[in-house]
Amino acid sequence: MTLMNCLILAFILFGIGVWGLMRRRHLIGMLISIELMLNAANINFISFAYFSAKDSTAGALFSIFVIAVTACEMAIALAIIVSMYRRYHSLDVEQLRDLHD
Amino acid sequence: MFESILLPDLLLLAFPFIVIGSRLFCDFRSAFPWRVANIGFILIFIMLNMIPLASGEGHFFIFNWRLDDFGVLMREVFMVSAILGIWLSKDYFEHGADGKPQMHQIAEYIGAIAFATFGAFTVVSACDLLTFFLGLEIATIPMYALTAWNKKDQMGSEAATKYILMGSVATAFELFGFSYLYGFSGSLFFNDIASAVATNSTSPLLWVSILFLFSGIGFKLTLFPFYTWAPDVYEGAPTPVTAVLSVTSKATAIAFLAVLVFGPLAAVQEQMSPLIALLAATTLLVGNLGALKQTRLRRFMAYSSISQAGYIMIALLGPAEIGKSAIVYYMFIYAVANYLAFFVFGIIGHHREETFASLRGLSKQNPALAIALAIAMFSLAGIPPLAGFFGKFHLFFAGATTGHYFLVAFAVINNVLALFYYIQLIKSAWIDEPEGTLSSLRLNRRQRLIIIMLSIAVVALGFVPFLSNNIFAGFTF
Repeated sequence: MTLMNCLILAFILFGIGVWGLMRRRHLIGMLISIELMLNAANINFISFAYFSAKDSTAGALFSIFVIAVTACEMAIALAIIVSMYRRYHSLDVEQLRDLHD
Repeated sequence: MFESILLPDLLLLAFPFIVIGSRLFCDFRSAFPWRVANIGFILIFIMLNMIPLASGEGHFFIFNWRLDDFGVLMREVFMVSAILGIWLSKDYFEHGADGKPQMHQIAEYIGAIAFATFGAFTVVSACDLLTFFLGLEIATIPMYALTAWNKKDQMGSEAATKYILMGSVATAFELFGFSYLYGFSGSLFFNDIASAVATNSTSPLLWVSILFLFSGIGFKLTLFPFYTWAPDVYEGAPTPVTAVLSVTSKATAIAFLAVLVFGPLAAVQEQMSPLIALLAATTLLVGNLGALKQTRLRRFMAYSSISQAGYIMIALLGPAEIGKSAIVYYMFIYAVANYLAFFVFGIIGHHREETFASLRGLSKQNPALAIALAIAMFSLAGIPPLAGFFGKFHLFFAGATTGHYFLVAFAVINNVLALFYYIQLIKSAWIDEPEGTLSSLRLNRRQRLIIIMLSIAVVALGFVPFLSNNIFAGFTF
């Protein structure tokens, strides 16, 4: 296992996240895709910390903070989505059409 | 010494808990939390004004909390925005407006604004990537909640859904950029990154990371390819939240870029300038073209603020001192003029719909309000006697110092385009005849006072840089 392998893995995960975000029409599916993208960044941090960095604790610590921040963000996102669901009784993004040019 | 300098930050950090806690000791409908919030915010603002400005590196606290003059002045911008934001919000907690029901829980609302402001403080005082990232997140996450604050309004929850999806993607992009920057330099500290960038400025890892960082922050600053969420969110959010979003969130994003471009990435600023210039030019054009065909006021303000972001980007091309002073100065003016416009729209929104058509006959019905609106619009458009002109002049001056004459010329031509739609708004307030009878506009004492204060500020800020003794230190004519 080399640094390059880890970076390629992270990049592929990020790509899957972006692809999922564009393809998915379900709000929870989109949130999961976003989570994939954030965790791809985490893999990057940890692999850089393990293989190459001068300051290797910093990278590992960063990923722990990222996990905490992501949890906050997802909590708010789910709260907003619940209020959406109460209104429309479905989680399809296609219904987000009230605001437009 | 350090304690007194840190006091505003610490007070602001404790502040949300004080305001939310104060609700425990009073009646549900009491104005007590709002009074506490007023006193606290104004106190913090006064304390910030008393901090002696230190040129150069600034003061450090535990080696990764820095107070330089840019940081202190940006803090003042954030506090102005927070104070005006809660003043604007107060009426929306008393009765509904613009077809939306009344909002509730003012204490928590103020707490969320205070948290966002603290996040913005963190962004301007960070010295390493981790603090920087946390600051940006603390500044953004409360904004998602604020957008959806009106639970009974379905537009609000739709806007918040769009905002949080886009915002989280932006966070992911930024984080990916940070991870490459960490991998490139091997450290999270800005000083180490700056020296790594200076020694090895052609590394592909660095440039991929810059690309990711710019697309991440491009979402938050509403730069050209990433701006599409802004009009929807600005329209769907409650009016005071739109005002806070367009000032605090934009100021945070531009401070983020200024810290990054003039700090760790300073060595490659020259090589980045085509990218920044391209983003600035396209953002200007798209914002101006988008604003031309709008009929709803908040959507119009969204496009106007997109184009303002383009103007501010031009200052990032200049030398550090001039660029930073221009950004700070423009942010003050932008904050004041934008809030003046939003106060006028808010007062109209309390009685009618927030559209261009509702402005008709304003000059006959309430000339003072129409004059305030004209002042705000002329300042945003940059007409000479008003503050907006001087702000834009310094932005363009910063860009021209490093020889980006073509971009500056393009921005000036765009300014003419912008003048067209700002004047259209003034036309509907001053010239267009109303259809049928107008519902009466009532202003309470607070609204009248604020509108007079802000109108004077927009006129005076152009030639009285009273807020700080060295805001012009960077300009040497």
